[in-house]
Amino acid sequence: MLTLVLFNVFNGVIVGLFYVLMALGLAMILNLSGVINFAHGNFLALGGYFAFLLVPYIGFWAALVASPLIVGVIGLILERTIIRPLYPRDPVYSLLLTFGLAFIIQDLCRTAWGPNALPLTVPASINQPISTEFFFLTGYRLFIIGIVILAVVALFLFLRHSRMGMRIRAGTLDLETVAALGINVRLLRSFNFGLGIFLAGLAGVLAGGQIGLNPNMGDDLLMPAFIAIIVGGVGSMVGTLLGGLIIGVAAGVTTVFYPSGSEVVIYLIMILVLLLRPRGLLGEEGMMT
Amino acid sequence: MSTTTVSEAFHRRPTYGNWLSVALVWAVLLAVPVWLPAIGGYTSLATRILAFGLAAMGLNFLLGFTGVMSFGHAAYFGLGAYGCGLTLKYLANSTPLAVLIGALVGTLGGALFGALIVRRKGVYFAMLTIAFGQICYYIAYTWNDFTGGYDGLRGFVRQPISIGPLVIDIQNNMILFYYFVLATFAVCVGLMALLLRAPFGRTLIAIRENQRRARFLGIPVEFHVWLSFTISAFFTSVAGALYALVNNFADPTTLNYVISGDIVIMAVLGGMRSFWGPLIGAAMFVALQDYISSETVNWMSFIGLIFVVVVLFFPRGVLGYLRRLPL
Amino acid sequence: MSLLEVRGVTKAFGSLVAVDSVSLAVDGGELRAIIGPNGAGKTTFFNLITGFFPPTSGQILLDGRDITRANATRRVQMGLARTFQVTEIFPELTVRENVQVAVEAATGFRLRPWISRAEAARVRDRIDELIVATGLTAQAQRLVGELSHGDQRAAEIAMTLALRPRILLLDEPTAGMGEQETYQIAGLIRRLHKQSHYTVVLIEHDMRVVFNLADRIMVLDQGRPLAEGTPAEIAADPAVQAAYLGKAE
Repeated sequence: MLTLVLFNVFNGVIVGLFYVLMALGLAMILNLSGVINFAHGNFLALGGYFAFLLVPYIGFWAALVASPLIVGVIGLILERTIIRPLYPRDPVYSLLLTFGLAFIIQDLCRTAWGPNALPLTVPASINQPISTEFFFLTGYRLFIIGIVILAVVALFLFLRHSRMGMRIRAGTLDLETVAALGINVRLLRSFNFGLGIFLAGLAGVLAGGQIGLNPNMGDDLLMPAFIAIIVGGVGSMVGTLLGGLIIGVAAGVTTVFYPSGSEVVIYLIMILVLLLRPRGLLGEEGMMT
Repeated sequence: MSTTTVSEAFHRRPTYGNWLSVALVWAVLLAVPVWLPAIGGYTSLATRILAFGLAAMGLNFLLGFTGVMSFGHAAYFGLGAYGCGLTLKYLANSTPLAVLIGALVGTLGGALFGALIVRRKGVYFAMLTIAFGQICYYIAYTWNDFTGGYDGLRGFVRQPISIGPLVIDIQNNMILFYYFVLATFAVCVGLMALLLRAPFGRTLIAIRENQRRARFLGIPVEFHVWLSFTISAFFTSVAGALYALVNNFADPTTLNYVISGDIVIMAVLGGMRSFWGPLIGAAMFVALQDYISSETVNWMSFIGLIFVVVVLFFPRGVLGYLRRLPL
Repeated sequence: MSLLEVRGVTKAFGSLVAVDSVSLAVDGGELRAIIGPNGAGKTTFFNLITGFFPPTSGQILLDGRDITRANATRRVQMGLARTFQVTEIFPELTVRENVQVAVEAATGFRLRPWISRAEAARVRDRIDELIVATGLTAQAQRLVGELSHGDQRAAEIAMTLALRPRILLLDEPTAGMGEQETYQIAGLIRRLHKQSHYTVVLIEHDMRVVFNLADRIMVLDQGRPLAEGTPAEIAADPAVQAAYLGKAE
């Protein structure tokens, strides 16, 4: 019984970390540019697929870095070309655009790699079982945890201490003032977008190694990522991190007692938060509210 | 100086352009069973278009006229569909009652959820509407016993309508059914037009044009937004109920956010700032989607392309460009 | 009893104190001006009075009733009308239509799905009245967004008048205006004050307007009250001269 509980909590943590990785990328784009990126899950898929393409040539480790980078650059280019013109307009347009992008990217993936699941081979060195009693502690799962934690810590350090990071943070609070200080806001937004997509791509590589690749693989993570942001509070990256972990672990724990309820519990948490603390756990009043 | 159609909404003239174009629209709609088969279409395509047109017009009440963005209107479409189907299946053999109950369920959902989120603004509000849509979608495809789960709700059939001795066989006669849907559509559209021409409609437009000034004229903005949201949910859920009757089937995928997005693009494609725009957008989108999906396996790319192209190059929509409406 | 009474309001944003213990008592029929260098907290003070945010401490009373916790909409309904530094109007509607929204809101018609012919006629008459009062008869059918700055401001004032306010709060009504327009708006405010007996509180930077219109002037500097008195007293006050008038246009 204990093993079962631990198994599910552990799974919950892993799922929660994926939610966090997705939600952080989504939140960065939302907070700075006010764009809800419907295509985020599809960039995740793209990240996985590019890794699939690259692994035979440059190996897993290099692909782990290269694939998200490539996807991030693609995101940056898309932002520069088709999203940027929409900033001054009604937000409905940028929503519709990312919506359309989601369709296009998903279809391109399906056309290029087929609708069926593809495996992403992970080096045997990581893919080892670690413990026989705790069978769920595979090397790869621990690897995922490690990489995500690394990425999140790196992201927070970047936002806190680097000049670009500080500008991004300032921009989410008051973009006008940042522009008035002479900072190139367009570049900031493009870079920020690319970074958010990079995180999605990274999640895609990691997810690919775990569950295999298919064109819809990002869909199941998109809505929980939204909810992580809502629960944690719009505008707060730490809140988003918290939100993702909470719903992931909650879903995991629920699976122990009520397996089909794990998705419901995420929605219930969201409704609870909306009723009791509408701006989210760490959200600021007035931040897009 | 010229007046924009924004200001047309304020005059006692109908919002939907001059009498000639209104007459034209109705003439076309009434004559559908005559001209549509002649160009290779079929009547139930028109029925589906009316349903989505009403859904899009309902959404546009909120989006185009009040200036509030909802990306989760599929929820009300679906609630209407399931409410209607479940009524026919378990409660009563009356089609009008089923539509009414479907509308009630959808409106209630809109009223409750709207009240919960009305104080949130902008994209955050939109995110919440998306989430609610997904909650409804989830309930539809997991509550197997009640809703039929992934397979959807079957086992109900639209019932003929008896008015005294007269029986209108909308069950077997597709053309009569089309006119039933058209009649319901007409009632809804009439109601919508009435509201928009009234002080209430003008208040909504004021909120859209300058929310701060509206507030500082003593207009309780949140309350009006909630009302608009609820009314919009009403029209969209009537549309959903009608849609369920087309194939005697309530489809869980109609609750997915994809449908929400479709409804929004229909409104934008036809022209957000116009009254009839969403109907025209629905006609174009539904017809296009039908055509494209039968022609190519890559229909998703083309649909996505429609979204991208409309947003980048035709943001004002068909009627918007034809009548030079503001953005 | 004063019409508007502000008792020692303070507004702090974290460690930044924008408004520090400012009090104000305005009697019915008065025209009060608030002046001060940029950043003195004048607009924040207005925001406090009109309900943008609650004060950190202090009280606000209208007609003796405590409105400190009331929201902005409620305050407007109780008679507090306001114009903004950047004119807040409905640019895509005509002058008539702008005023119509205001009149219908004020008459309680805003939720109505239908109004009778008689009611509509009354609304039309009221709109005409307001358009004449603000001198916009010639512009009535034009889109407000296309009007001159001065006419836009006049339209905004017409909208606030529709509310039959107890008190008018005007935030820099002549901001960004040239000679002619300043004269136009100052004249309008003067008429509203002297002939129609409106109670007005003004924030202004243009000293000619201030000294010409105000019964009493309050000077704010860095969120704190610096001086208060008649125009003559303020003009003679050395502290005020030092802080502000010396640097004025």
